[in-house]
Amino acid sequence: MTLDKDDSEAARPAAPIEFRLDAASGVPTYLQLVHQVEHALRLGYLKPGDQLPKVRDVVASLAINPNTVLKAYRELETKGLTAGRPGQGTFIEATLSQVALPELSALRRSLSGWLSTADEAGLDENGIVALFTSALRDFYERRRGSRTGGGAASGRTEGVA
Amino acid sequence: MNVVEASGLGKQYGSTWALRDCSLAIPAGHVTALVGPNGAGKTTLLQLVVGLAAPSAGGVAVLGGRWPGSPAALDGIAFVAQETPLYKNLSAADMLHLTRNLNRRFDQASAEARLAELGIPLQRKAGRLSGGQQAQLALTLALARRPRLLVLDEPVAMLDPIARHDFMATVLTAAVDDGVSVLLSSHVLVELERVADYLIVLSRGRLQMAGELDDLLASHRVLTGPAAEAGRYAERPVVHVRRAAAQAHLLVRATVDDPVPPGWEAHPVGLEELALAYLREPGAAALPGPARSRQAEPSEVTR
Amino acid sequence: MTAMTALTVPARLEEDASLRPVPWRRMAWVTWRQHRVALGGVAALLGALAVYVWILGLQLHHAYAAATTCNPASSACADLITNFNFMNHVLVGGYTLQLVPPLIGAFVGAPVLARELETGTFRYAWTQGFGRSRWALGKLVALAVVVTATAGAFSVLVSWYYQPYFAATGHPALDLSEASPFSLALFDLRGVVFALGTLAAFAIGGLAGMLIRRVVPAIVATLAAYTGLALVAANLLRQHYLSPLLTKAVNVPGSAWIMSQWWTKGGRFAFTSWRDAPNHLIQLCVALPAGPLGKPSQETLAQCFAQHGYTQLTSYQPAGRFWAFQWIEGGWLLALSVLLIAATVWVVSRRAA
Repeated sequence: MTLDKDDSEAARPAAPIEFRLDAASGVPTYLQLVHQVEHALRLGYLKPGDQLPKVRDVVASLAINPNTVLKAYRELETKGLTAGRPGQGTFIEATLSQVALPELSALRRSLSGWLSTADEAGLDENGIVALFTSALRDFYERRRGSRTGGGAASGRTEGVA
Repeated sequence: MNVVEASGLGKQYGSTWALRDCSLAIPAGHVTALVGPNGAGKTTLLQLVVGLAAPSAGGVAVLGGRWPGSPAALDGIAFVAQETPLYKNLSAADMLHLTRNLNRRFDQASAEARLAELGIPLQRKAGRLSGGQQAQLALTLALARRPRLLVLDEPVAMLDPIARHDFMATVLTAAVDDGVSVLLSSHVLVELERVADYLIVLSRGRLQMAGELDDLLASHRVLTGPAAEAGRYAERPVVHVRRAAAQAHLLVRATVDDPVPPGWEAHPVGLEELALAYLREPGAAALPGPARSRQAEPSEVTR
Repeated sequence: MTAMTALTVPARLEEDASLRPVPWRRMAWVTWRQHRVALGGVAALLGALAVYVWILGLQLHHAYAAATTCNPASSACADLITNFNFMNHVLVGGYTLQLVPPLIGAFVGAPVLARELETGTFRYAWTQGFGRSRWALGKLVALAVVVTATAGAFSVLVSWYYQPYFAATGHPALDLSEASPFSLALFDLRGVVFALGTLAAFAIGGLAGMLIRRVVPAIVATLAAYTGLALVAANLLRQHYLSPLLTKAVNVPGSAWIMSQWWTKGGRFAFTSWRDAPNHLIQLCVALPAGPLGKPSQETLAQCFAQHGYTQLTSYQPAGRFWAFQWIEGGWLLALSVLLIAATVWVVSRRAA
């Protein structure tokens, strides 16, 4: 069990990005990794064909559970952003899907409308942010849950009926 | 394969039951966190798993059904006890030699490389190394035996943050590289969430929670709403209630798909909040398998 | 759904279906490395004592050789004989050599297990692949062999020292008759009893260390237990190994172990010591001419009593039975040691944390 850093740097091309962890953010670790990949894609740090850091290297530098990294990479694969090549690693396959410009304008208009409604209801800026964040999180959790067959509601834990 | 299987496991010291009626099955390939307050029975459970203690009631099997004292179990399990016992007047090189002599498998080369990388001098007596270095040395010895299961009793309690990070990085890297399953106990909850994927909660010698961490977190939510309505949910599986004058938080067994009552908000739960809530409710339990849960009326914490 | 883990449980097969145990010889280095200080201490102690015995022994042997080979008629020979007779036939400090077996046993044997339990290192040692019972057995046996052999070598040296006194050929003028091989300063140091006594002390130390779990109390307990054992052996047990011989002879050799003497008349017990003799007998015999020491010698008294019809009976063990006694005592010491070591290993296998 050797952490042979020199070997890895010489023999394999280094991954373009490094992950970081924000322990206080309240966002689940694997989601942080997913977001960082998407963010890197958006900003151009990652391009199709680039390799993501090896699971082992992420674990060694962040001291997190390997399954967390695997979960993040699987999520990226489900989104179609990456693909795993057996024996080699995980590679970027596509860029973030571009939403067409008219659609973006329509979304922005409906968003402005909602914001006016919220403002009239008496919600201040922090309140709007809190509401939106909460709804956003639930939306994606539900979508993920339904995608994996409602596994989150598995009967592994029981309560009094 | 289950690395640890316990059935009605109990251990009595004198007239006190340090551990009672413990049944669980930890699958292989996980990093398991064993959590609970001091005196909950964590060390007792670990000692039963590694064969340092014998059960007073029930039984425990390791590595797919072996008895903890058997040669196969001793061979496949590496244990680092609390306060990392090393022979203080032996050097690191001596400890390597000693461990190599006492075991069937020993990867001397990787152990030496690891110690060199950590900057631990081979010729210095173990008693003169720093706390972090001693912990790393004990861990290196354990991992060099190429175990299937690594058992750590409060491994990072005495370490500074950097030493803690390095220690856990080593453990987790071994989990990736060699497929080692890890069972570690801790009474510090904060860092466990990103390290563990299987959770066991002990309280006063009894098992309160056991399961995959993702499942446990996904099956609990915190509902926040008017305190006046808090009593309405007595019939739902409420684990813990925190009530102020106007507002109440209910930790309930629910998933993200369960409907939220109007006027209430639902939030996801983190490991620390979940574990603390269960620890404050001695009667509550979240255990896998049939007929393993029991729940009394949750007590209320009034502020 | 639980995350599928890629922490693959290694596909490597179970190394052996029936795992071969880790070889015994590995314990050699383990035992040496962990106990080399104690063993070094033993070597230093016995080494220093050996030098002492060696020096005194050379002096004794030279004096003996000179006294026995000189021409008895010459005056120089008388001086040599006197010189020899004045040498201590009980080794100076011989009684302190009795301390060697318990010291070795306590300081080598007690820490073997007590230190592991006291410092908590047993949590390391007993979870290694070697297995705790085999580990304990290997250590105890290895140390026992070393300690016994070393003590045995030392007692050979002590026996060499005493050679002039127990040589087959006596010499009329030499004062050889007072050394009984059964005397306390000699029996425990020669033959096999010294080595096997050390073994027994070691075995007591091992078990005490395992039961008491603290080094210093275990050492103290070992010293106490061995002292008790030695006293019991010397004062209660030894005399019963073989039935003593009875003789009516007046002159029992000084090399014999005299168990008791008493006077009979007409086949019945009369009295034990001449002081308990009937008054008339005392008046008759004690009034005899005084010898060089100012009162009648024992022999004169004895002849006087005999003239009046009293017979002295002596129960004794002849010097020739020395080795028989050694084997008997050594035998049960060995059996006891084996039992104690087995018991220690058994307690190790049973002990919960």
